[in-house]
Amino acid sequence: MKLKEKILNELKTVYDPELNINVVDLGLIYHIEVSADADVRITMTLTTPGCPLHDSITSGVRYCVEGMEETQKVEVNLVWEPAWSPEKMTPEGLKALGR
Amino acid sequence: MLPQNMGSETNIKLPFSFVFFSLIALVLSQILLLLKGNLMVDGSFRIPAIWSSAHLLVLGWALMAAMGAMYQLVPVAFLTNIWNEKFGFVQFLITAAGIATFSGMLYWSPQRALIPGILTLLGILMFLFQMFMTLKRQAKPTILTAFVGSALVCLFITIFMGITLIYCLKTGIGIEYYQVIFKTHLLFGLTGWFTLLIFGFSYKMVPMFSLSHGFPMVHARYVYGMYVSGLIITMISFSTNNHVLLKMGFFLLLAGFSVFSWHIKIVIKKRLKKKLDKPFTFALVAIGFGNAIHFAAFILLWTSSSSTLAAPLIYSYILLWIVLSIVSYLYKIVPFLWWTYKYSKKIGKSKVPSLKEMMNERIVVPVFSLFIAAVLIVFCGLIFKIAILFNTGQFILSILFIIIALSILSVLKK
Repeated sequence: MKLKEKILNELKTVYDPELNINVVDLGLIYHIEVSADADVRITMTLTTPGCPLHDSITSGVRYCVEGMEETQKVEVNLVWEPAWSPEKMTPEGLKALGR
Repeated sequence: MLPQNMGSETNIKLPFSFVFFSLIALVLSQILLLLKGNLMVDGSFRIPAIWSSAHLLVLGWALMAAMGAMYQLVPVAFLTNIWNEKFGFVQFLITAAGIATFSGMLYWSPQRALIPGILTLLGILMFLFQMFMTLKRQAKPTILTAFVGSALVCLFITIFMGITLIYCLKTGIGIEYYQVIFKTHLLFGLTGWFTLLIFGFSYKMVPMFSLSHGFPMVHARYVYGMYVSGLIITMISFSTNNHVLLKMGFFLLLAGFSVFSWHIKIVIKKRLKKKLDKPFTFALVAIGFGNAIHFAAFILLWTSSSSTLAAPLIYSYILLWIVLSIVSYLYKIVPFLWWTYKYSKKIGKSKVPSLKEMMNERIVVPVFSLFIAAVLIVFCGLIFKIAILFNTGQFILSILFIIIALSILSVLKK
């Protein structure tokens, strides 16, 4: 399994505590870049700019990937463009919302 | 472009201090009402024990809980940090001391309530200053800023009118304006401060708790325009004693509230979360009650019994709209505060509970349903002047408030 896929898989353990859905199924992870030195840069968003769990969720993503043996430096880049929309959710995420 | 690090994590000790104080004040206000409330059945509302209980409920509980919630929600909703947290702790101590002594003096010696009243005023002015400095930092004001900013202005007017009332009572100066000042005090305190504040934060919390997306926000401008116009026209009607203006003012308040209800319905229809959390559902139920009470108040103006039914309606407005909204949102806000304190450094490292798991939701439906029933019993007791109904309803309410306070505090064990 490639490191990117491993990271994505690992990120499925980070849950939005309000919705109780992981950040991957919620469609919050936009992009994962891995350098040759195994430094990781994650581009992600949140469901709304004024999310009260802003710091907790972004820190959770960083802690999670930092905890992987294969990774070195981890940077989380939070963006609002493109804005999050329900279409970014996976079928599993939608199912967890009762859809 | 929005800043990357918006630092939405307030030191939770600050909002928690307010919430703790508010829960104690809530229980005390209910016990006092239970012990002395039988006088209310005879229509004796303006007695020291009722003043004390009402201020413990409205200032000690609702205002302090609202302040605590604002210390938490303003950074979240307006994407800015609290101006000065240390100033916030000093403000808490002064306001808490002020409200405790003010409520005590209203009970034992209302003529000596001026100094504690000024202390309360100082605490509230400090809060207004803190919020003004915080909102000033907001990069781009929105309609939410208009709601919350106007609510804060109404809070200032309410407190100013309250202090003027005590001054009139103490010195006899301007006593002929007592009724006008008293009505304005109630209008701006209940419909101005609390309703505008709940409207404003509902526009943030309803989409957040229901995960609604793609809804229009244009209705909020009409809600704001109509409701604030209604407040101003009603205030003018009090000072001019003009019944036509009063009807116009009440109509605009009703129209503003109705558009708000309709707008929230649109937001909820656009939700992704199919099954809503129980406490949040009751916050939506409270909107229905608030709307119905506005409607009843407007209809009553056309009848001859408006003066006798005013007090029971105000009572139900406080309990079924303001209190039910705040309690429902506290069931969401307090677990969030505690979760942030306890688990924000653990997320991503180990398994952490969800917010839903922090609170015992099973008691919400029976407790909140009984709460509504008890308020309606008290309401009937007041209208028909039946002491047994009033006492039974008030006894149930007091017990329920204690259960609610303990249930909210139980989150600290998680």
